[in-house]
Amino acid sequence: MPLISVVLGRLSQAFLLLIAMSLIGFIGVHSVGNPVFNVVNIETATPEDIRQATIALGLDQPIWRQYLLFINNVVRGNFGTSYIYHLPAFALVMSKLPATLELACVAMLIAAPVGTGLGLLAGRRSGTIFDRTVLRSSVFALSIPSFWLSMMLILLGAILTGWFPSGGRGTTARFLGQEWSFLTGNGLWHMVLPALALAIPNVALIARLSRSGTIEVENLDFTRFCRAKGLSSRRILLRHTLPNISVPIVTIIGLQFGGMLAFAVVVESIFAWPGVGKLLIDSIQLLDRPVVMATLTFISVAFVALNALVDLFYAVLDPRVRLS
Amino acid sequence: MIEEPLKTPLLRVKNLGLRHLSASGPVTILADVSFDLGRGEILGIIGESGAGKSTLGNVVLGLLAPEFQRTSGTIEFDGMSTEAMTASAREAIRGRRISAIFQDHTASLDPLMSVGMQVEETVLAIDGSLSRRQARHRALDLLTRVGIPDPQRRYRQYPHQFSGGQRQRVVIAIALAGSPDVVIADEPTSALDATVQKQILGLLRTLVDETGVSIILVTHDMGVVSEITDRVLVMRKGQVVEQERTAAILDNPCHDYTRKLLAAVPRLRIPATAANPDDRQSRTGATEEGDRETMLLIAKGVSKHFSQRVFPWSRAGSKAKFALRDVTIHLRRGTITGIVGESGSGKTTLGRIIAGLDSAPSGRITIGGRQFDVAKSGRRSGLLGRVQMIFQDPAVSLNPRMTIGETLRETIRFAAATGRNDAPADLASMMDRLGLPRSLLTRHPHQLSGGQKQRVCIARTLLARPQIIVADEPTSALDVSVQAEIVDLLKDTVAERDLTMIFISHDLAVVQQLCSSLYIFKDGRVEDFGPSDFIFSQSRNPYTRSLIDARPRRFTC
Amino acid sequence: MKPAMKADILKGLKKPPLGPVLTASKILLASYILLAIAAPAIAPQNPYDPLQIYGWEASSPPGTMGGGGFRYLLGTDGLGRDIVSTILYGLRISLMVSVTSAAIAALIGLTAGVSAAYFGKWVDAAIMRLVDLQLSLPTILIALIAIVTLGPGIDRIILALIIAQWATYARIARSVALSETNKSYIDAARLMRLPTARIIFRHLLPNSIAPAVTLIPIEVGHAVALEATLSFLGLGVPIDKPSLGSAVANGFQYLLTGQYWISLFPGLALFGLIASINLVGEDVRRSLDPRNHPA
Repeated sequence: MPLISVVLGRLSQAFLLLIAMSLIGFIGVHSVGNPVFNVVNIETATPEDIRQATIALGLDQPIWRQYLLFINNVVRGNFGTSYIYHLPAFALVMSKLPATLELACVAMLIAAPVGTGLGLLAGRRSGTIFDRTVLRSSVFALSIPSFWLSMMLILLGAILTGWFPSGGRGTTARFLGQEWSFLTGNGLWHMVLPALALAIPNVALIARLSRSGTIEVENLDFTRFCRAKGLSSRRILLRHTLPNISVPIVTIIGLQFGGMLAFAVVVESIFAWPGVGKLLIDSIQLLDRPVVMATLTFISVAFVALNALVDLFYAVLDPRVRLS
Repeated sequence: MIEEPLKTPLLRVKNLGLRHLSASGPVTILADVSFDLGRGEILGIIGESGAGKSTLGNVVLGLLAPEFQRTSGTIEFDGMSTEAMTASAREAIRGRRISAIFQDHTASLDPLMSVGMQVEETVLAIDGSLSRRQARHRALDLLTRVGIPDPQRRYRQYPHQFSGGQRQRVVIAIALAGSPDVVIADEPTSALDATVQKQILGLLRTLVDETGVSIILVTHDMGVVSEITDRVLVMRKGQVVEQERTAAILDNPCHDYTRKLLAAVPRLRIPATAANPDDRQSRTGATEEGDRETMLLIAKGVSKHFSQRVFPWSRAGSKAKFALRDVTIHLRRGTITGIVGESGSGKTTLGRIIAGLDSAPSGRITIGGRQFDVAKSGRRSGLLGRVQMIFQDPAVSLNPRMTIGETLRETIRFAAATGRNDAPADLASMMDRLGLPRSLLTRHPHQLSGGQKQRVCIARTLLARPQIIVADEPTSALDVSVQAEIVDLLKDTVAERDLTMIFISHDLAVVQQLCSSLYIFKDGRVEDFGPSDFIFSQSRNPYTRSLIDARPRRFTC
Repeated sequence: MKPAMKADILKGLKKPPLGPVLTASKILLASYILLAIAAPAIAPQNPYDPLQIYGWEASSPPGTMGGGGFRYLLGTDGLGRDIVSTILYGLRISLMVSVTSAAIAALIGLTAGVSAAYFGKWVDAAIMRLVDLQLSLPTILIALIAIVTLGPGIDRIILALIIAQWATYARIARSVALSETNKSYIDAARLMRLPTARIIFRHLLPNSIAPAVTLIPIEVGHAVALEATLSFLGLGVPIDKPSLGSAVANGFQYLLTGQYWISLFPGLALFGLIASINLVGEDVRRSLDPRNHPA
């Protein structure tokens, strides 16, 4: 029963989000000026051209009708055509997706194990120098704004030492009909700095969470009972503590993966990484509304979908949710 | 005077001292504690909260947090001193020779691992030479032995799919997996209902007789001690007050404190002779029209269910779980009526509905001839304020940010709408009557003891000048010795002020002391009812009988 | 184990392991606030006044003697503005924006949360639907959506930050108020027929406000970072009145050519500000957590 209500809750949330985004988009597109002038050339257009275009865009319809039309388009993934690239906005977003995805995946592959490991160790030895160091550095790591962190990585890793390139995707290879950087050595080399920029705050976040989770679980009666019943500390850690803290950790990993899609906006524009985030910022600056709306809607919906996945995973991990 | 145990001691604790290093300096937890434990013996360690009894259990187990520091004494296990052992040797003893059962059966099991696996891994941890199949066999064996029905099927289930009693049985199975010499059981039955408690204690006794294991049973409950222990260690503030054979302590306690503890245990009397045969007729509810006058409150046909809706929009249907099912009770003016039941029986729910705090979809409540609509809650029912309540946990019944004086004065100002101007005198005399020093008026709740807080709650209730009071387990959050005082206070108050009271409890003996008639609740229904004497001596209801039988025999007379 | 004893052990574990660092961050935060207040009086230059800025001195390295008769201790930026002055004035804007938005967000969130808890039913459902939706998205995304819709400007950015942050307070306030509502002292107050307003303001609110209020310092830290990020992306405060974030952004293009100071020093100041707010904020929360003060 809880599982069904969780899924239903997420679905209704996704629906609500789509409505909210479409409203914002609808208002946004209209507040920017007459959309007709995005279609026709202001200088050469005759009144007849403008009338034609107005009818073509459905602007002669009553406002609620226009909104329904707009929603209909949004639901079908049709956000209109980019003013700048003259491509369908949604397809444009999709074409930038692989770059963002591979960056976020690599960053998470760094952050999740490192963060969990540090947190577990710190939690097991709470109060020691190691624990204090982890705790303290995590506060600092979380305090660095991600754009400044990216710039400092460029300053240290590229400009002062020259070890890594300061931007771009490097050489890519084709796979599944898309270009990927992680398949070539040079591409991977280009990924190091941006992936670090995304990973560092997440290492800190995951480490803090798994630290407090470990302390909490180790104080529970069943861990004491496990010791009383004669299990080795290794087994307690691996078979009892780890599964029990994995529930919140998986949640935060899921959420933060979505967060990386959002923070890609910053990191990608600094490292000139041609992904969804850079597209968003470029489009905002160029007032390319269809692309802006397509990107924001896509990221938001992807985020709700991720949340739903996390919830399901939760149920798989926790028999109390699975079997009630 | 310590009697020499007949058998060679398995465990010998000598002059043990222990302190806790807290932020505010070291605090002595145990001082000069000595005792022996023989083979096949059940040793009870009894004391009120803060006696250090649980810590003592943990010392023996070697499971103390680093903030605890041993200041003196030795622990010898089977002739070996534990200090002389290496860490790994001590680790090897744990589970194999000394194991433990904790109070909270829910927290003792890993919620994410199947019950069978948790037994199996213990078996494997203790004997690494076993194959998985052998370990599984042994685990099934253990589960059968502790009385888990159909262990094959339940092997793969998770702790949350078991009832509380069954979970505690699984915990016992795990504790026994290594065929230990000593099991330390810390309040093993305190979280369980009386009938289940009785079964678990019986199981422990059987296991001792069959396997020759020794048990150290840490508890606050004299009833538990009287049921199964061979010897008792009475502790108070980290010191051993007295230790003796159980029978000797119960019959002839030497120390004042032990006497006080014993005296505080409520005793159930079974009236020897059958009461007036007319009692059947005069069973409180059975009288309908005859004495409307004497019935101050009648609650009729009250039902309430907790909705378990599959979909947010679906109506609560056949899957609804009833909290109350067609409950009818009568309150005779000027008496105390008891409502008894185990956890989840709906007794608190009914109390809250009568007080107007909660609503119920169906039912009628009549107070002094005036009828109230229970379908509405709060002010709209018109009921709120006519019936006052004393709550279970005094720690959360007082606003932590208001002084005692502010709380009580607020009551006088708003609830006691009598328009009289003698409030200060009222307040002072009330404090005196309830045995509260007036200096408490300027204190905040956290500066008071549990008993004092409950007295303040009673004062607040009385200042509101109600006709009817619902007391919801008002003593169960308190220490035994304080419980008795509060019960006496309530009894006197009702008599002095001509009040009518509903006393909700899970403890038959307390109810008997206070109540002239009682209702026994089970799963949201009235299972049995009648005058107190009738219920205890004559009722043939099997559930009532099982509740009475679950009482410790020693404190039933 | 006795709960009290458990609490003691937990307290031992939670003992703040940040003694000297904490003291340092308190001093740092205090001086940040003082510097921000006193900025117009102590800054060598008014970076908003074009008459005080000499374009030919753009991108001077730290220590250069300037035409205004003082030394550019941290150099100048791409427009020739003194970095020390830019930092001092930027600090004012960053703090003003973040404190204002956090305070308003807290007010709105608290009211919404406690109302949701007390009134229940559809009020609760409506408010919490919105809160859940917002909290399932990262704040940076909410802030981005808001600012894209609202357009640029300091007032808009404050509004965007409020929109991005109120939900956090609402959630906390609601959950605390709910658990307080379930305690028997509220039942007792209802039984005494106290007026509803008295129950809310005298009993419920004082006991549920603390956890939400302790969030404020940490949320101010978030707001500083958010504002800086939006400004960095060119969506925040106008470029002629730079906050710390836009000061860093201004230096980005010069970083690649080695003129590191333009973004390094404002960035350091920003980092120090956020770190000291976070450390002090965590301490405030820890010391007000009742679990750390058993009886």
